[in-house]
Amino acid sequence: LDWEPPIEKYTGYIREVQFGKPKSEGGRGKVVKIGGQKALYRFEEPQPNPPVVTFDIFDMPMPGLPKPIRQFFQDVMEDPCEWAKKCVKEFGADMITIHHISTDPKIKDKSPKEAAKLMEDLLQAVDVPFVIGGSGNPQKDPLVLEACAEVSEGDRCLLASANLELDYKKIVDAAMKYDHNVLAWSIMDPNMARDLNRKLIEAGLDPNRIVMDPTTCALGYGIEFSINAMVRLRLNGLKGDELVNMPMSSGTTNAIGAREAWMNNPEWGPREYRLPLWEITTGITMMMCGVDLFMMLNPISVKTLKEIGKALTT
Amino acid sequence: MPKKISVMDIYKLLPKTNCKKCGQPSCMAFAAKLLEKEATVDQCPILNTPKFEENRKKLIELLSPPVKEVWFGNDKRKAVMGGDEVMYRYQLSFFNPTPIGVDISDELSEEEIKSRAKEIENFTFERTGEKLKLDFIVIRNASGDIEKFKKAIEIVEKETDMPICIASLNPEIIKEALKIVKSKVMVYAATKDNLNDMIKVIKELKKEKDVVLVLSSNNVKELKNMAAKCLANGIEDLVLEPYTYPENIAETLDLNVMIRRSAIEKEDKYLGFPILNLPINAYYYALNNDCPISTFFDNKEVVAKMYEATIAGTLLNRYADALIIHGLDIWELMPILTLRQNIYTDPRKPQAVEPGLYPIGNPDENSPVILTTNFSLTFYTVTGDFEKDNVTCWLLVMDTGGKAVDVSVAGGQYNGENAKKLIEETGIADKVNHRIIILPALAASTRGDIEDKTGWTCVVGTRDSSQVGEFLRKNWDRILREWKEKHQK
Ligand code: B12
Ligand code: SF4
Repeated sequence: LDWEPPIEKYTGYIREVQFGKPKSEGGRGKVVKIGGQKALYRFEEPQPNPPVVTFDIFDMPMPGLPKPIRQFFQDVMEDPCEWAKKCVKEFGADMITIHHISTDPKIKDKSPKEAAKLMEDLLQAVDVPFVIGGSGNPQKDPLVLEACAEVSEGDRCLLASANLELDYKKIVDAAMKYDHNVLAWSIMDPNMARDLNRKLIEAGLDPNRIVMDPTTCALGYGIEFSINAMVRLRLNGLKGDELVNMPMSSGTTNAIGAREAWMNNPEWGPREYRLPLWEITTGITMMMCGVDLFMMLNPISVKTLKEIGKALTT
Repeated sequence: MPKKISVMDIYKLLPKTNCKKCGQPSCMAFAAKLLEKEATVDQCPILNTPKFEENRKKLIELLSPPVKEVWFGNDKRKAVMGGDEVMYRYQLSFFNPTPIGVDISDELSEEEIKSRAKEIENFTFERTGEKLKLDFIVIRNASGDIEKFKKAIEIVEKETDMPICIASLNPEIIKEALKIVKSKVMVYAATKDNLNDMIKVIKELKKEKDVVLVLSSNNVKELKNMAAKCLANGIEDLVLEPYTYPENIAETLDLNVMIRRSAIEKEDKYLGFPILNLPINAYYYALNNDCPISTFFDNKEVVAKMYEATIAGTLLNRYADALIIHGLDIWELMPILTLRQNIYTDPRKPQAVEPGLYPIGNPDENSPVILTTNFSLTFYTVTGDFEKDNVTCWLLVMDTGGKAVDVSVAGGQYNGENAKKLIEETGIADKVNHRIIILPALAASTRGDIEDKTGWTCVVGTRDSSQVGEFLRKNWDRILREWKEKHQK
């Protein structure tokens, strides 16, 4: 009996998004690309870019970070630049995600200007591309992102994030004006993701600058909803739906919020092992659904995901 | 999207009496249920009569999934694999949660075999009201000695009800083992080299129907030809094992996908069998080689277990219908079992419990009334926490359509109208001498609405249900006293 490898024909493709710029083009050097697939699997068509991990860091010591994470960053948490350097030098970060949480009016209410100042320092401290995040406050975030976008002009960052609950037009304008990408965040619903992309494009955003975040629910806390949403988005993208053929990002760090990950409970064994495994399992699952960019915290999980991701694309 | 058959194709084969004995209003409705895999052919008693014998057979053939459902075990416990119809769970649902087996080497002492077997059988991790368990035991002929192997099999069969898989590549040894096993076993494994002898052994013992045979090869075409040969010899319960490469798991994932696609999308019957993968390979690999986790822990065994769990999770996401592992620590098994539970939930059904009043502990008229939702994850987390912390209360479980607290607050199902209905239906007012409801902190924004619609006083509690015990110990007496002082004058 004969057998042929079941290779599918795809009419669509996934857009390629670039972070960072080479020095020759006025950037700081390091360039990272995600997406660009023309097929679901490497046995069908070589996969152009391996999945990328971006390390989460915070502009102030993040309250409530569990010990299995703090142990790696205790010495640098007061200084975001040192924190970024450590992620790059010791743990091989491809990118850094800075969360400007102290801009939240309920935390320190730092001004967009102060956030931009820190952004400048961070750009000096390391040469990898950045994801720029706000505090999650819908009034403040567009202002913070705009200010940071301005000082990092030409570095092709990812502004995180645009959604329908805030002034996304401001974020779109900043991205187009200062040459950045935008993270489009929707909640586990492919139609919502599509709708949001359409609105962003109508507002003037180049579709090749969109990365989709369909929300990552942690393992045990709704991950099956994320699986369905992401798989459908990726399949529809490859089938030629040009409104959802963007690369995808996952807030994998959500996994450490699961009580099975962080809670001290002798019946469950040491959380030093549980916590990274919860993040790894969540991330791996998202990777199998097509996710291209992973926002993560724990160096153990980061390394594991990166190596498996590399294998999947070579 | 399951298969390209229609309700009409099924309906044509049904008795068309509309007698309702299947519990459906009509044969057509029953046909729709069959198509969605929400009913089984046996549920129509009329089909079981001789007159419909032929139709029944055709129907079973028509409805048989492209990935055959294969089981091994005994009357008490079965490990069921496969039965899937679709490539992606959103298209229908995946069926038969991947059975997970743990190995026992026949080189262990009698006592060690006994205690490991018991440990595997008794392992339980409870999550959202479900007891997550391990499913079978793999007895490995590590010794190469036939007597030791038989002894180990005897012990496991005597001490436990677990389905068993016997592992040896030597047909002579498998033959002796097959003579003594009592249950339907899974035999690991037939390879290109020993396949003819394996088939011969099984046929000699007339055990074609009593074994599940694992076919092992990293070449899909070869697997296909091996399967064809088995089928021609009456061995129909097959499992495909395309090798598990811990040093490059991408190879294994490719093979899994190619096999599954061939079965479902290309309707290749010879590849329409469950897939077995071996994360246990990752365990032993990581003990002796570098893996991504190696640099982070000094203890090699910890590294091996973490890597094994990683590989197991990867494979669960790409069509592993059965897994064999080595580690037994709860922290390693938790993510694997949780992932399996998540992947195999039926997307067509809300994960909900019955709304209503649940007394926790032995509540009386002075006990607090606590309002939560009927999402099963929420309900079981809350009741689990309360049990652990000896909380005594009246738990009101509101019908939020199976949504979590913050989800139903955002979606509008957690509201005063629903709370009012619940209070009336449960008669909670007659059971307590106060009118206080404790709300989760995530539902704080609904407080005004609930107070307006129900007339009860709402107190916002903690964010996490694990903190409720402490919250009540510190505050409940005072809250109740203050309320009484204000309202009972
Ligand atoms: C899974 C999920 C979904 C799933 C639903 C799963 C389900 N059956 O509920 C789906 C995909 C369907 C979904 C849909 C939506 N979601 Co949603 N979803 C989530 C997610 C990821 C997890 C929710 C969860 O399972 N929590 C776990 C359970 C156990 O928690 P819990 O019920 O709150 O119970 C805990 C506590 O409340 C407490 N507790 C419970 N009872 C009691 C009682 C007392 C007295 C006390 C003291 C404590 C207590 O203890 C429990 C254990 O810790 C959250 C984000 C997150 N939290 O991580 C978003 C989230 C809740 N969703 C959100 C939104 C906006 C939505 C949608 C409105 C999106 C949309 N526009 O369509 C819809 C609404 C759907 C509807 N209601 O009709 C937002 C809500 C934002 C907000 N606060 O306004 C969230 C927070 C995501 C976000 N960051 O934006 N969602
Ligand atoms: S029991 Fe059989 S014959 Fe009767 S209604 Fe149901 S499907 Fe039709």
